[in-house]
Amino acid sequence: MDTMDNGGGRGLAPRVEYKVGCMVTQISEYIALAGGLVLVFLMLLTTISVTGRGFIGIIPGAGPVPGDFEIVEAGCAFAVFIFLPWAQLKREHVSVDIAVSWMSPRGIAVLSLISNILLTAVAALIAWQLYKGAGGKFRYNETTQILQFPVWWAYAASLIGAVWFVVVSAYTVWRSVNEVCGDGEGTR
Amino acid sequence: MSDIELAILSFFVLIGMIFIRVPIGLAMLLCGLTGTWIVTDSYRVVLGQMKVIPFDTFSSYSLTIVPLFLLMGQFATRGGMSKALFKAAESFLGHRKGGIAMAAIGACAGFGAICGSSLATAATMANVALPEMRRAGYSNSLATGCLAAGGTLGILIPPSVVLVIYAILAEQNIVKMFAAALIPGILAAIGYMITVAIYVRLNPESATSLKRQPWSARMKALFEVWPVMLIFSLVIGGIYMGWFTPTEGAAVGAMGTGLLAYAQGGLGWKELRECIFGTAAATGMIFFIILGASVYNTFLALTQLPQDTATMVGNMGVDPWLVLIMILACYLVFGCIMDSLSMILLTIPIFFPVVMGLDFGMSSEETAIWFGILVLIVVEVGLITPPVGMNIFIINNLAKTVSMRESYRGVIPFVISDLVRVVILTAFPFVTLFLVRALDGKYDNLLLQMFN
Repeated sequence: MDTMDNGGGRGLAPRVEYKVGCMVTQISEYIALAGGLVLVFLMLLTTISVTGRGFIGIIPGAGPVPGDFEIVEAGCAFAVFIFLPWAQLKREHVSVDIAVSWMSPRGIAVLSLISNILLTAVAALIAWQLYKGAGGKFRYNETTQILQFPVWWAYAASLIGAVWFVVVSAYTVWRSVNEVCGDGEGTR
Repeated sequence: MSDIELAILSFFVLIGMIFIRVPIGLAMLLCGLTGTWIVTDSYRVVLGQMKVIPFDTFSSYSLTIVPLFLLMGQFATRGGMSKALFKAAESFLGHRKGGIAMAAIGACAGFGAICGSSLATAATMANVALPEMRRAGYSNSLATGCLAAGGTLGILIPPSVVLVIYAILAEQNIVKMFAAALIPGILAAIGYMITVAIYVRLNPESATSLKRQPWSARMKALFEVWPVMLIFSLVIGGIYMGWFTPTEGAAVGAMGTGLLAYAQGGLGWKELRECIFGTAAATGMIFFIILGASVYNTFLALTQLPQDTATMVGNMGVDPWLVLIMILACYLVFGCIMDSLSMILLTIPIFFPVVMGLDFGMSSEETAIWFGILVLIVVEVGLITPPVGMNIFIINNLAKTVSMRESYRGVIPFVISDLVRVVILTAFPFVTLFLVRALDGKYDNLLLQMFN
């Protein structure tokens, strides 16, 4: 997306779409970084825990971090939910191109448009059900086994990524519409 | 329509969707949801699934190993180790004809020991080895071919993301899978080197040789790669010895490669950002396929298709080896158009029960491990076969002046080497299972007898 003009400015408010795209990318970068830093934190935590366990009986008071795997599981769910929209925005989701390689960039853009609409629907379904799941965990006050922190925290944190996945998918539908009206996918 | 017919129909719909470029994860997810809805005749079941499956999949402890290994791979590409590995291998092999190509393969194997991704291995080593081979006057075909093939070692030699996914799908012990992959991985590297040797004998103009290095220089170059050896032995050794779980091993490995990259000056805030974005893209992509696959496989399990297929194949009385060969051939064909992970997630739920229902004269655990390694190898061949050989695309992109045609020609000898290896490993399961049996203590008595 390096031209403001989008091939003569055809499509659904291409200039606005470009600006929204920049904003979506910016926010996505921030939250992807948040997810990545959580991952780095999990790495540090696990290393410390393993080291601590290794020094049991050698250094007094050394031991694993209690319930470390519960934090790893919750943190990982948070990070993965956040990484889904990033992969969608950067067109990283794997697809098979070989059968449609004869199509023009605009034809390909039409196919992407269909996929992105379907994906937005699925993303919305996931976010909605995750929200309901969080509600359930909240009502029954379910906690984890060792650390006893409420399970709904992990659900609520994951909801950030799940909701952002819906926003990003919806934006990619818009992006695809303008690619169909413009010069097709991958031309700008 | 019976459930089985529905399952078979869903498979064709799925393939159709994939062919019109619907992302594979999305296609599996949609087919799985629709299928479940039809089979159970209740949308509530579908909603309930979406309440449970995404969160449970993404927070599953055994899967947390995947983003950590991906992060480790990202750090590894910044650690400056590719150059040191290449120099070390070159000091040993450079004086042979085609030696730089062999060194590139050896370095790929070394890099694969700290990186679980083929594409990253191919790209990182190409940056170091391509200019060197150019300067030494190697032919374009040989240079790009050996790097594309060498890249596949990233996934064959543990740690390997694809192997982790297989282990989870087949409910096998990851530690034993890693042990089983080691010897086939080393065999692959040796096989590729022999391929280079034969290739340069047949095409003498395609390669040159460097000056022989004295042993002092070799030892010095070898010493430079100690961090890689340390990290590999710590992670894989630690997992084998039971010091930590595979996920903990991945965390320790990521930590080690991260520190190494930092010490080499390759990991400031800017680089860390890029590592995170790279990990994010790969993790998002992989977990979306895993999510789609778990929804689709839940649907398949509802229809009983996997069990029925296994029973049917078992009752047909066909030779088990013939069935196995057909399955492996299937992967080779699919591998031409699909990526390895999607292929494994899509097919293992069907093929695995079939293979487990057959008798190869081994325990079921050994059959599962051996089959996993064979599958891993045949799907990796797909990375270097036309028309969709991702490794070739990557190398070709880096080697700007080389045509696609030359790259494809260069890769043919290595594909042949792969096929020879598949035949050997299929015919002699003990090659794969040797380390697994040794880990299980099956050879302990034998060793005692030898030393008494």
